[in-house]
Amino acid sequence: MRNRKRTGWHRFINGVNISTFLVALFIGLPLYWLIASSFKTPVNIGVDPPQYFPDPLSLSNYKSAFVDYDFGIYFRNSLIVTLIATALVLFLGTLAGYALGRLPMRGKFPMLVALLMISVFPEIALIAPLYILLEHLHWLDSFQALIIPDTAFNVPFAIWILRNYMLGIPKEMEETGRIDGASPLRTVWSIILPQALPGIFTAGIFCFTACWTEFLMALTFNSSNNFRTIPVGVSLFGTIDITPFAQIFAAAVIATVPIGILVFIFRKFVISGLTSGAVKG
Amino acid sequence: MTTISSAAEQPTAAVVAPPAGRPDVNRKKLARLGWLFSAPALIFVAAVTIFPILYSIVMSLRNVQVSGGGIKMTGITGANYSAVIHSSVWRYALGFTILYTVVTVLVELVLGTVIALVLERLTAGRGWMMALLLIPWSMITVINAEVWAYIYQPTYGVLQAIFQAVGLGHPDVLGTPTPAIIGMMVADIWKTTPFVAIIVLAGLVMLPGDVYEAAEIDGASGWYTFWHVTLPLLRPTLALAVMFRVLQAFGLFDLPFVLTNGGPGTSTTSLAVLGYQAMFKNLDFGGGAAVASTTALLVLIGCLISLRTFRVQVGKENT
Repeated sequence: MRNRKRTGWHRFINGVNISTFLVALFIGLPLYWLIASSFKTPVNIGVDPPQYFPDPLSLSNYKSAFVDYDFGIYFRNSLIVTLIATALVLFLGTLAGYALGRLPMRGKFPMLVALLMISVFPEIALIAPLYILLEHLHWLDSFQALIIPDTAFNVPFAIWILRNYMLGIPKEMEETGRIDGASPLRTVWSIILPQALPGIFTAGIFCFTACWTEFLMALTFNSSNNFRTIPVGVSLFGTIDITPFAQIFAAAVIATVPIGILVFIFRKFVISGLTSGAVKG
Repeated sequence: MTTISSAAEQPTAAVVAPPAGRPDVNRKKLARLGWLFSAPALIFVAAVTIFPILYSIVMSLRNVQVSGGGIKMTGITGANYSAVIHSSVWRYALGFTILYTVVTVLVELVLGTVIALVLERLTAGRGWMMALLLIPWSMITVINAEVWAYIYQPTYGVLQAIFQAVGLGHPDVLGTPTPAIIGMMVADIWKTTPFVAIIVLAGLVMLPGDVYEAAEIDGASGWYTFWHVTLPLLRPTLALAVMFRVLQAFGLFDLPFVLTNGGPGTSTTSLAVLGYQAMFKNLDFGGGAAVASTTALLVLIGCLISLRTFRVQVGKENT
C-alpha cells in the first residue's frame, strides 16, 4: 500500500478524508433531501425558503401514497414482474451460461458477441414492434407484457456473467459426476450450481435492479392502472399543474428500501459483477 | 485485469476433454447437450429482440396507417427516412443526444476516476462508502428525476433559495433551454458517477504493486506516476466503462420524459423521446420506426467502432 504513516491530527484531517467527506456529501445530500422531504407535510414541502429539517415530522404522505395514489397496486405489480422475470432469467441464463462456458459447441463465439450487442441495444428500437405484437396477442395491460421483454433483455447479460463464472470452475468437478453416472441435468444441478452460486447472485441482483427500474416499456405497454409498475405510477402522480412531491417522495423511499437492502446485502456480488464480465449500468 | 477478456483466456478445451477411447462420440454428445441447454435462452431472446428489430426495419420502410382496427402497411417507401433526415427536430435531437452523451460520459469518467483514486487511499470505512455509492446506481431513474425536479423547482426549490440567498436571482432551471440541459446532465452525473467510480476502483485495486515500487525508487512524482503508469494500466477498464456508458446514454429517455418532457420547446428532446412522441403521441409508427432504426444503427456502429478501437477482446473460441 502506498499509504504513508500519519501521526497526530494528520491521521484524521488530511486530503483523503476531506475528499471522501466531499464525495459522501455529493452523493448523500440529494438522498437526504429525498428522505427528509418525504416527512414534510404537503404544505411545508412548498414553502420558500424550504425547510431544511422537516418540522413537524409527518407520516401522512406515506399513508396518502397508498390511500390516495394507489401505491400499493404499483408496488405489488413491480414485485410480481421483477420476481418472475428474475427467476426466468436465472433459469435460462444458468443453463445457457453453462453450455456456452463449458461445453464444446461450434459457433459459440459469434453467439456471445451477438448477445453482448443485444444487451446494450436501446429499448426504443423495440418498443413499436413489441407493442404491435402484444396488441395482436391481446396482451397489452398484463403482467406478461412486461415479464417477457424484461426476461429477454436481461438474459444476455446473465449468460455473460454466468459463463465467466462457469469458466473458473475446475474441470474435475464435472468428471466426478460423469463417473458416478449422473445425468447431465443432475450434474449441473448438484455439482455446477453450488459452485456457480456467486455468479447467480450477481446475475440475480443485476436483473432485479434492471426490472425494478425499467420505465419505457412499462409506460408504453401497460396503460391500465391495475398493471402499472412503480416507476410509471410515480411518474404519473398528480395532475399536469400540481406535482405532489410529498407523496412522490414517500413512495420513492418505500421503493428504494427493498432494492437498497438487497444491494447492501449482496454488494460484494454487485461489485464483482460490475468488474468481471460485461459492464452495464 | 478482470475484463471480459481475462476469463475467456483460460483454456476451456481442457475442461471438457473427453475420456480416451471414444472422443468423437463424446464430443458430439456434449455439443448436442450444449445446444439443448442454450436453445431455450437463445430462442427466447431472438424471438423477443431480433425479430422485432427486423420488423421495425420493415415498418420503417413502408407506409403505415394506424386506425381503430389496428395497423395497416402498404407499399415500400423511403419517405419515412427522408422525412426524418430532413426534419430539423430530428437533427436537433441527434445533436442534443450526442452532446449529452459526450459531456456526461466525460465528466463521469474524470470525476469517477478522481473518486476511485481517493477511495483507494481511504484506510477506514471503504465498505460504507461503497454501499453509499451503490444507492444512486440502484435507484429508479424516475425517482432520481423527481428529486432533481424538486431541487430545481422555480418557486420553492432549494436551488433557487440558495441562489437568492447569495443574490443571484431566481433561476428557472427547467424552464430555460440551456440551464435545463445542464440541470439534466447534473442529475445524470449524480446517478452514474458512482457506478464509474466503483469500476475504476476495482481496476485500481487489481493493479500490480511492484510497478509502483519501481516508480517510487526512480523518484517519479505522484502526478507522473498517475499519468504514465496508472492510466495506461487502467485503459482496458476505462475503455469498457466508457463503451457501455456511451451506449446507455445514447438511449436517454427517462430523465427528459419526467424532468422536462423534452422541453422547454424541444431543447431536451433526445432521439428516444422523439421516437416515443412520434409513435405514441402522433401515432406515426412509420416515422417513429425510422427514428428508432436510425438510433439503433448509430448504436450498432458505435458498438463496433469501440470494440475495434479499444481492442476489447470479447472472448476466444477455443473449443
